[in-house]
Amino acid sequence: MRRQLKIVSRAAVYLILSLMSFISIFPFLWMIVGATNTTDDIIKGKWTPGSALAANFGRFFETIDVALVLFNSLSIALITTVLSIGICSLAGYGFEVFRSPARERVYRLIILTLAIPFAALLIPLFMIMASAGILNTKFAVILPGIATGFVVFFFRQNTKAFPSELRDAARMDGLKEWQIFLSIYMPVMRSTFAAAFVIVFFTAWNSYLWPLVVLQTNEMKTIVLVVSSQVSAYYPEFGLVMVAAILATVPTLAIFFLMQRQFVEGLTGSIK
Amino acid sequence: MNAFSKFTLGLTVTTAITFAGTFAADAKDITVWCWDPNFNVAIMKEAAARYGKTHPDINVNIVDLNKGDVEQKLQTALASNATDALPDIVLIEDYGAQKYLQSFPGSFEALSDHGVDYSGMAPYKVQLMTLEGKVYGMPFDSGVTGLFYRKDYIEAAGYKPEDMQSLTWDKYIEIGKAVEEKTGHKMLGMDPADGGLIRIIMQSTGKWYFDMDGNPNIAGNEGLKAALTVEQKLLQSGIYKPASGWSDWVSKFTSGDVASVITGVWITGTVKAQKDQAGKWGVAPIPMADAQGATNASNLGGSSWYVLASSPEKNEAADFLNEIYGKDVDFYQQILVNQGAVGSLLAARNGDAYSSADDFFGGDKIWQSFSNWLGQVPAVNYGIFTNEADAAVSAQLPALASGGSVDDAIKAIDEQVKTQIQ
Repeated sequence: MRRQLKIVSRAAVYLILSLMSFISIFPFLWMIVGATNTTDDIIKGKWTPGSALAANFGRFFETIDVALVLFNSLSIALITTVLSIGICSLAGYGFEVFRSPARERVYRLIILTLAIPFAALLIPLFMIMASAGILNTKFAVILPGIATGFVVFFFRQNTKAFPSELRDAARMDGLKEWQIFLSIYMPVMRSTFAAAFVIVFFTAWNSYLWPLVVLQTNEMKTIVLVVSSQVSAYYPEFGLVMVAAILATVPTLAIFFLMQRQFVEGLTGSIK
Repeated sequence: MNAFSKFTLGLTVTTAITFAGTFAADAKDITVWCWDPNFNVAIMKEAAARYGKTHPDINVNIVDLNKGDVEQKLQTALASNATDALPDIVLIEDYGAQKYLQSFPGSFEALSDHGVDYSGMAPYKVQLMTLEGKVYGMPFDSGVTGLFYRKDYIEAAGYKPEDMQSLTWDKYIEIGKAVEEKTGHKMLGMDPADGGLIRIIMQSTGKWYFDMDGNPNIAGNEGLKAALTVEQKLLQSGIYKPASGWSDWVSKFTSGDVASVITGVWITGTVKAQKDQAGKWGVAPIPMADAQGATNASNLGGSSWYVLASSPEKNEAADFLNEIYGKDVDFYQQILVNQGAVGSLLAARNGDAYSSADDFFGGDKIWQSFSNWLGQVPAVNYGIFTNEADAAVSAQLPALASGGSVDDAIKAIDEQVKTQIQ
């Protein structure tokens, strides 16, 4: 009786989990299947694989300089990520390790910036970039994304789990503060760094509104902007949209699967 | 490689670089923002190629975005007053034209100052870009409307193409009921949340949400009342197949599910893409509403080109638009054939493509028909709050569908619009 109950409850759990995973994976499947169908078939709601995959990819590569677009996305995302992690990890570490009431007030201000929607910053930021004469450069895309309250917060929270004994021991051994950060803190906190890498990279890669307004020419476009420009007015080519969506998704997937273990560890706050 | 060929190669490269240099120094770039790779982007490329033949010094650089993106970028750059960030030419949807012209005065170049002859353009297209006596844009594609219908279904229901020619909405619904009875097909696909048909009917009576001065004209607007009445009759008649969203709506007629579709001429390409339905389709004018000033001609969508006043190349840009879009009848044949685009230059109807019979439509000269209706579309003022008014109308559609009174709906729309635009 008890065993039967266990089987039933387990079956129910699996059923619910399967349903959930189907719901979350469905858009992805739909994207893949869509890329193999013609636009007409997609509009009719056909959800079996078709034979237009090569034609869709061919037409997409014909009209878009895919290598350049992916390079734009990748370079913007990577530079943003490296700079952002560098600055925000130092800030998060500093706020946690060197506490003072004055610094707490600054920290609270930084956290407050999380409440400002980007739409409110759009025009002032745009004016700054325009008057600095750096519109339509990668620099203008990267700059506002480097120092973000969320990543500072993320590092500070995780630093709470960094054992102060380690730091004290390192000090006694004569290490300077920057040496402690580089050779003790960074290796110990590597899953936090990995998680931050994934978070910032995804945000930068998927970023849409800001690159849209600062980048002006076709040559500067990122993959996300290309996806959006494929959605046209009267006769959307959904086959091409799906191809673009795949190209925009695959690199992020690859990075996520490569760093999945560290990412989960980093979010759950484990320390090696 | 011997010395001679090295020398020749060197010489060729040097010459090439020198020429490239001189060429670049003289060339002027015109940057264009537009939004549909298969439609206005492709058309702009064709226009640039034509202009380039006589003006080799002009280089047209097209940035393709989507419509929302163009609006976002334009709005940001205009609001920031960052003129460097603006293109030379931008495509704006007609419903939004007055909003940009009035919200950013002085930002757009009045092309009536650049010698464009607007008398040969569809009058309603000129009206929507006119502000204080000046005409600002270059009219581009038209959304002149038509009733596309399946001849086979209509005939099975006992009607002939001649019966479709000057319909009233009541007659249309009557035919719809007969079609369903005889063939089992519904008459049209309809998204019950979309107010497109209301806009079509309202403009066919020469009315809009706003009067010619841009003031709200909702309570007491006979055209709007007629449109809402028709919408309610359609929603309650059961002759439509419900569709949710654009793609679903398209699939209703491409799959052969429904017998007709009433929309802008730009849908022709989608209808014709169904090769297996060749010969089965016909085109008729839209049914006439029961209101004063009603016609069989209307419009849905459409867009036009605008030159930014801050552009250093505004004279070249204006000349480019005027030479190609303002005069080149041959160009209009090309874009009709290749992109299915019906432009706003009335003289284009005299060209080959416009005069030819279309086998897909059983040999009918459908482009002559559309061209006739194009000249008859009543001119209205789209004002600056069309989107807000649309939202207010959409909010009342469920009430209409469930039998609420049209007068109550108008009252509610009127209140919502007035509160929103204050």
